[in-house]
Amino acid sequence: MSCFAKLHGRRSGAGPTVAILSHGFGTDQDAWSALRPWFEDRFDLISFDLAGCGPAGADSYDFNRHGSMFGYADDLIEIIDELGVQSCVYIGHSMSSMIGAAAACARPELFSRLVMIGASPRYLNDDAYVGGFEQAGLDQLFASMAANFQAWVAGFAPVVVGVDDSQAVADFSRTLFQMRPDVALNTSRTIFGSDMRKTARRVPTPVHLIQTAADVAVPVEVGEWLAAAMPDATLDVIDASGHLPHITAPDEVRRILEHRLAGIVS
Amino acid sequence: MNPSSNEALYELCGFARVACEADLVMALEVDEAGRASPVASSPPHAFSSFNLSRSGLFDSAWSAIPAAASGFRLPTAVIHALPEMPASLLFVPAPAEHAPKSGLLLLWAHAPSPAPLIEHVRLLASSVASTLAARREAVRQVAMRDQFNDLLESVPSGIVLFDGDGQSAMINERAAALLACRPGSHRASELAAPMRALRERCANHAELEAAYAARVGNVHFAAAHHWVLGDKTYEVDTHPVSGDGQHGRIWLFTDVTAELRIAATLRGLAQSDPLTGLPNRRHFEEQSAQILTAAATAERAVALLMVDIDHFKQINDTHGHPVGDAVLKAVAGRCNDVLREGDLFARFGGEEFIGLLTITTENEAAVIAERLRNAIASTPVLIGQIAITVSASVGGATTKTTDPAISGILESLIESADAALYRAKQAGRNRVIMA
Repeated sequence: MSCFAKLHGRRSGAGPTVAILSHGFGTDQDAWSALRPWFEDRFDLISFDLAGCGPAGADSYDFNRHGSMFGYADDLIEIIDELGVQSCVYIGHSMSSMIGAAAACARPELFSRLVMIGASPRYLNDDAYVGGFEQAGLDQLFASMAANFQAWVAGFAPVVVGVDDSQAVADFSRTLFQMRPDVALNTSRTIFGSDMRKTARRVPTPVHLIQTAADVAVPVEVGEWLAAAMPDATLDVIDASGHLPHITAPDEVRRILEHRLAGIVS
Repeated sequence: MNPSSNEALYELCGFARVACEADLVMALEVDEAGRASPVASSPPHAFSSFNLSRSGLFDSAWSAIPAAASGFRLPTAVIHALPEMPASLLFVPAPAEHAPKSGLLLLWAHAPSPAPLIEHVRLLASSVASTLAARREAVRQVAMRDQFNDLLESVPSGIVLFDGDGQSAMINERAAALLACRPGSHRASELAAPMRALRERCANHAELEAAYAARVGNVHFAAAHHWVLGDKTYEVDTHPVSGDGQHGRIWLFTDVTAELRIAATLRGLAQSDPLTGLPNRRHFEEQSAQILTAAATAERAVALLMVDIDHFKQINDTHGHPVGDAVLKAVAGRCNDVLREGDLFARFGGEEFIGLLTITTENEAAVIAERLRNAIASTPVLIGQIAITVSASVGGATTKTTDPAISGILESLIESADAALYRAKQAGRNRVIMA
């Protein structure tokens, strides 16, 4: 089975340029529903579920391969090669931001632009670097995930959504519950244990960073760090809250996309 | 994990990197499907696994000449282990039986200047392959041992396992707690003393020493004994197990305290009369066989006494059944008080009791019978505020046989004693008549 099929790949839209949407932890490709029409009007649109996510996601998850962000980057490149895509605009949310960066470093010719929503190359604080998390806090997070996944989701979802949007909280909770708890735990360990700062510094593709002014997973300092460290990056801090602005503030995100991708969307 | 084979792979990678002036050398364990586990690298780097089936590495016929990296699709993890995109690479196939596409991967950030040793790096292939095989075996053994440990700890018994080589032994946590040492592997000789000390702490240790002494040196011996340790009883089962084709031995310590207690309670319930606590008729019949056999063997006489409370129906009718029951209990208690240790006394049914005694002289039976009658009748039984005058009639019979085949004896004794009891009743009750 192709990687594209295994990851429930979808292709729609009729634009000349390929755009690839890659969701973040705890959601699946339905997270793009609010923005999908905008992309379909302008792009040849590809989306998929990350390994471990979506319906029966555990089937696509390999505890060894997906024990680092590079395993996901290999999946992304495999899909692009399978579909014969020569070049694409890549839009990644959360963990998919650095997955895109890793893939672009390995195969620069495949990516013309990277859009990163709520990106973080490292979640742990490190000397002067502000990632927003301390190891003790993360250990506690993993412990409560392992102890009672259901209770953990109930607490985690509203905090990550970060705005008073019961529909968004319900949707996010649903897709979190869709993950097998051991896969969810291992995935969050991979994410929160990752340090992709070296990758960020060498990413050869122009990058557009989008983040909200109040995101529990990504402090504004992280966006600023990325914008400064990446060779060619813009940063837009939008007037919204939470870690899922493509779901809770799609108009704001769309406005930035229209502005930043103006040269590509004719 | 076997540290030596892992270290050897790191050494091999390091040697190859220096010899070939490479920027990264990885030892890859790769299965037929191209699934690759990077098991060592120089410089050291933590890799997760990746798939190389589409990489192109296996489509080239590798000689000693590095190729341009742009012709290959390398996993992103490999690319990120280098500070920049690699310019050249060389794959040295080192097929291992379990991972036929394994090999050493050498990468250069810039096209390598012709280092004279590159053409010799192929000579490392067989070392890499054999070390990968050794590592795989070590991993397999660790996995088996882990699985075995899980099993060891999941059973509710203490386990001491002596390997067949006679050198090593393994104990689980429960056994470690009993033996007061740490769980895990031990030298067999280290466990001998704690095992002996534990046995010596047992209340029944003399019995155990005797039981085990006879078996010393018998490698096939299997036995289960109860070890009584304080208020706990362990069933200790030992039997040979084959380890490495030789003679290993396992000791299993299972706490059976609760089971024994329950069994004893159930046995008691089945054997006793719930009202008086005396043995019931069935238990009397079982126990009487032992007494009769023992008496026959010792050439001693036995006496059988039937004790029947006088006018018991009247007590029930006048005062009600609860009072009647209390009287039965009181009579049972009074009889018990005057009987000797070793006398068997049971509730035979209704208001009738039965005793079986070993005696030395025929007169002794009459004396004990009179003692019973007197104990019952001497003072009224007090039930709450009511004082009830109680008496009983006693019929007795004695016999002496030296034939250990005792069949029929009990029946004929009962018959004679019953007849004597009838006469005692006829003669006005509250008296003893011996047949």
